[in-house]
Amino acid sequence: MAGKLSIILFSGTADKFIPLGVLTQGAAAMGMETRVFVTGFALLGFTKERHELPFPAEFAAMAPALAKGLTAKQVPPWDAMLRQAKELGARVYACSMMSGVMGLERGDFNALVDDVVGVATFLEKAEGGQTLFI
Amino acid sequence: MADDPNRRLIDARGKACPGPITDLSLAYRRSKVGDVFELWATDPGIRPDLQAWAKKTGNEIVSVEERDGAIVAVLRIRAR
Repeated sequence: MAGKLSIILFSGTADKFIPLGVLTQGAAAMGMETRVFVTGFALLGFTKERHELPFPAEFAAMAPALAKGLTAKQVPPWDAMLRQAKELGARVYACSMMSGVMGLERGDFNALVDDVVGVATFLEKAEGGQTLFI
Repeated sequence: MADDPNRRLIDARGKACPGPITDLSLAYRRSKVGDVFELWATDPGIRPDLQAWAKKTGNEIVSVEERDGAIVAVLRIRAR
């Protein structure tokens, strides 16, 4: 049994999606049961309609340098890392309550999302493992 | 070592973390006990990450060395 990592992705700012991709792909590569529960404004990163994810205002000035560094180091985009994680068995769930609040239905989400579930489902699946809130 | 016909080369040079460990994991999925991997990587995180991966999956690190500006690790698959 290789353990279990569950990530609650709440923040919808672009910077948080980088550690999401790295942790999810890394955990899946380690053979861990890996799950992401997407809620809040982060849901906008998972819709068929493309949304430009904002940078937090206090780091906005550094965003161009970060983008340059990521390219130079050949770090894949966060969604590519998540797709790789999913190929290794990771699963992504959208929060049913916040989806409803934001007017998003199952069909509005892109292929990264495996299902729309309630918090009880996520907590039950996360039980006994490590949980991160991003 | 180099003439081992079962040795599989994994070239993860230039890939940032967690690319190398992911390539290793993908190869591991298609492996059988006794297989030997030769992993080439340039991300310095692969040294400690290899230890973590081997411990987690129950596999053996045969050697780790620097060659031509890269980190070259030889691993033997012990557990599936």
